Amino acid sequence: MSDIAVNAPKTSQLLMGNEAIARGALEAGVGVATAYPGNPSSEIIGTLAQVAKELEICVEWSINEKVALEVAAAASFANIRALSAMKQNGLNVALDFLANLNLTGVSRGLVLVVCDDPGGISSTNEQDSRHVAKVLDLPLLEPATFQEAKDMTKWAFELSEEIANICLIRSVTRISHARGNVVLGELPLRENHARFDTSRKPYASIATATPPAFHQRLHRDLSRIREIYEESPFNWYVGPQDPELLIITCGSGWLYSKEAVEILSRQESVGILKIGTTWPLPKAFISRHMLRTKKILVIEEIDAFLETNLKELSVDLAPGRSLTFYGKASGHLNPFGEINPDIVIHAIADIVKVNYVSKEVDYQKKCQRMIEENIFRRELQFCAGCPHRTTFWAIKDALKMDGRDGFVVGDIGCYSMALGSTGFSQIRTVHAMGSGIGIASGLGKLNSFGFDQPVLAVCGDSTFFHAAIPALIDAIHSQSDFLLVVLDNAGTAMTGFQPHPGIDMSATGDASLPIDIEKLCHALGVAVVVTDAYDIKGTTQKFMDLLRIEGKPRVLISRRECNLIRARREKPLYKVQVNPEKCIGEACGCEKFCIRVFKCPGLIWDKNTKKAKIDEAVCSGCGVCVEICSQEAIVRE
Amino acid sequence: MDTKTCQEVVAEVIRKDLCTLCGGCIGLCPYFIAHNGRILLRDICDLHQGRCSTFCPRISLDLEETNRAIFGVPYSWDGVGTNKAIFMARSTNVNITARAQDAGTVTSLLCFAKDEGIIDSAVMTLFEDKSFPKGVVVSSREEILACAGSSYMATPVVEVLNRGAQEADRKRIGFVGTPCQVLALTKMRASRLEERNPIGKLELVIGLFCTWALSHPSFTQFLEREIPDPIVKYDIPPHPANVLHVYTEKKRMDIPLDKILPFVRPACWVCHDLTAEFADISVGSGRGKVSDWNTVIVRSSKGMEVVARAEKKGLIETREIPKENLSRLERASYNKKKRAFKNVVQKTGSVEDLLYFKVQTEIVHRLLAE
Repeated sequence: MSDIAVNAPKTSQLLMGNEAIARGALEAGVGVATAYPGNPSSEIIGTLAQVAKELEICVEWSINEKVALEVAAAASFANIRALSAMKQNGLNVALDFLANLNLTGVSRGLVLVVCDDPGGISSTNEQDSRHVAKVLDLPLLEPATFQEAKDMTKWAFELSEEIANICLIRSVTRISHARGNVVLGELPLRENHARFDTSRKPYASIATATPPAFHQRLHRDLSRIREIYEESPFNWYVGPQDPELLIITCGSGWLYSKEAVEILSRQESVGILKIGTTWPLPKAFISRHMLRTKKILVIEEIDAFLETNLKELSVDLAPGRSLTFYGKASGHLNPFGEINPDIVIHAIADIVKVNYVSKEVDYQKKCQRMIEENIFRRELQFCAGCPHRTTFWAIKDALKMDGRDGFVVGDIGCYSMALGSTGFSQIRTVHAMGSGIGIASGLGKLNSFGFDQPVLAVCGDSTFFHAAIPALIDAIHSQSDFLLVVLDNAGTAMTGFQPHPGIDMSATGDASLPIDIEKLCHALGVAVVVTDAYDIKGTTQKFMDLLRIEGKPRVLISRRECNLIRARREKPLYKVQVNPEKCIGEACGCEKFCIRVFKCPGLIWDKNTKKAKIDEAVCSGCGVCVEICSQEAIVRE
Repeated sequence: MDTKTCQEVVAEVIRKDLCTLCGGCIGLCPYFIAHNGRILLRDICDLHQGRCSTFCPRISLDLEETNRAIFGVPYSWDGVGTNKAIFMARSTNVNITARAQDAGTVTSLLCFAKDEGIIDSAVMTLFEDKSFPKGVVVSSREEILACAGSSYMATPVVEVLNRGAQEADRKRIGFVGTPCQVLALTKMRASRLEERNPIGKLELVIGLFCTWALSHPSFTQFLEREIPDPIVKYDIPPHPANVLHVYTEKKRMDIPLDKILPFVRPACWVCHDLTAEFADISVGSGRGKVSDWNTVIVRSSKGMEVVARAEKKGLIETREIPKENLSRLERASYNKKKRAFKNVVQKTGSVEDLLYFKVQTEIVHRLLAE
């Protein structure tokens, strides 16, 4: 039995933030949970999927975030509590539905968890999703600890039912991915039967009334939420009665602020007001604290969301009273990237005029120097045996041989790394999921403007289902001139091998009906060729052949299961070795061709013999490097 | 000697249309490849002193220095290059002359060198299917014979030497090629980087007279349109015919040179070398009264030895070169130099910038003046 499903109230467990959110949903009796994988949110549904059968809940990896939210909303309409989780980019995909769903409302509790990625550690963008709550007039909660991550999630279902609308939870990487002790609550008994109430007025923001009428209701409901928030235990104050400086913070900022005040020993003069309910703001509660100080420092990650709303509040609060705000607008914090205790310490020290000297001056610079000196500089790289490396190798050679200055339009997945040297710097654009195909389709329509460069669009199998299909249909319909390369590695590899509609297994491990990309392309009436990504020569030739066809879209499916997935199941394909007699070392291709250019991490340099060597711990045994070596020094058995 | 990176080979040679497609940069490493009549850099090499740029006949060519290094004497701008003898020769073997482009001297000399063990193999150009010629390593009389005949098309033959020479069982290699290919070999011989290249195995270099070479695939595609039947042989008869003879199984077709010239590799218009001035032996066709003979220029002692022994064995016969033939050859050789420098200066717009040539300005002025 997995720990997350244990019904042991009041016991404590060390949980990752995302696991705590999943546990909170279970304690709320969630029946349906959906998501499209995306870090830092993926473990929420991943965790629930593991216990789905045991607890008889329905968990799915949906085709994309919009569908994920629609599936979850449907459950709510049919009287089942539901949760959908996504990253900030995913929220954008779901936004069209969400911006209508808020008007129609829901029935049973529906919670939408959005995990933001300050610093863009695993994202193509950095975005503060909290604004969506304000724009759509929906309640928002921000957990600051792992305990809160669980408790708030449970409470969010109640809030949702209170106003029959969606409740948003915003997490950030350091809450979602760090671990802390969480005291468990009770798991409820499985209750209700799903039923859609046909006697209820339709879930639609037109016909039954006008959108403004629904909008008005939203504002009324939000006022009710505000009243509830005034008494929320997720908001609290620690510090002196009348602080010299009042820190107002939320989310990850709470622990950073606490640590900063302690390090500076300013508990007597600096107070911390921690807000868990960040939209709508509990005006009265906050006002009481704001009136007891003259200086306010706002600590939060990414945008000045809380800061701006507090300033707005202060205008109504105390006309004529001089309150000075510090934070992002004052330059003490950046409105981008992650924050950390050091940033908060320096902000406080500057405002309260303390001379703060860290234990070691220029510690960060020293760390940076040590890293550079002692750690081998690694670039973002495809794994050993990654089929993307070989596909991009073939693309690179084919485009060179084609000689018409052709190029690759990228998309979101492991293969986005082909922006860099691991994919031979082949990719020229990367935006949102599926956007590459749309952009390629657009480029392929510019023939009448003299555009004559071959265009390739790459997308993974999961991305293909997520958002590529409409753009592909657009291209087929208009006979746009480009080659779509589907890098089919049989899974959503970058986020942790989650299944997708092309896989014959569901999130919970049950058999499911796989959708065949090749057949789908055939049905759409587009020429489709399949190749084995490990067959470099054959794949290069297929690229050459397909590049010669002009005036219509073509599809090449470069197929090879992600080597990490395969390695979980099977032994390596080959035992690969370098024959030191044949390897010409530094003389090869003007310096170690296989290591420096092909760059598979399984190939390493033996300093003593000055020859290439296979790192047996890393080599996946794909055997592809045998084809790359010009000296036939690499052999596979 | 200046050395440059592979990117500079691309920027200064390939992009500037100076590449002769000799193949000197290929087969040394995995980065450069030849594809469809072009040299491609597949990946970026970070070596500052690459063999590709060192061996390239179109990077930093100092004819004075090279001539001194190879023959120990100054370079002559007026004649047909340093030589020990100039005469006419032809094969005495009717099987060879029947297949040869002209009089079979090259094929006979190579067969002799192979039979005598002077070489164990040779790198030549095979023009078998008459579509696009390719470089091959030959090691038998039959294979040498199969390579008889000219294609008039540039092909990266030196690549085959670069690859083939690596094989341990090849110890003495012969080479037959155009002046630019011979120049690449000459630069290899002179290079400090030669220890990475088994250039020491190269025993005998026979150069072929060359006015220009045609581009693949554009010329091949042109011919396919003009002449659908399979082509057996090409020939350009002496001036003033101004025509390319194309032989098919059935007949001979004549294509005016004006229609052919657009397919000449642009790099050929800035080439100074008509007679492969750094070969051991240079061979071209005969003209006028001696049109069924080859014109032969012997440059090295090794070349002298091979020709003398082959003649002594009765495999070739020789005769004096007629005076007018010699003066015509010298004039043609000089005119090619003039053409090269005129075109270089036209390209750069300055006598100071001579692209790949390292030549004193007064010599350029002299070449341009007359």
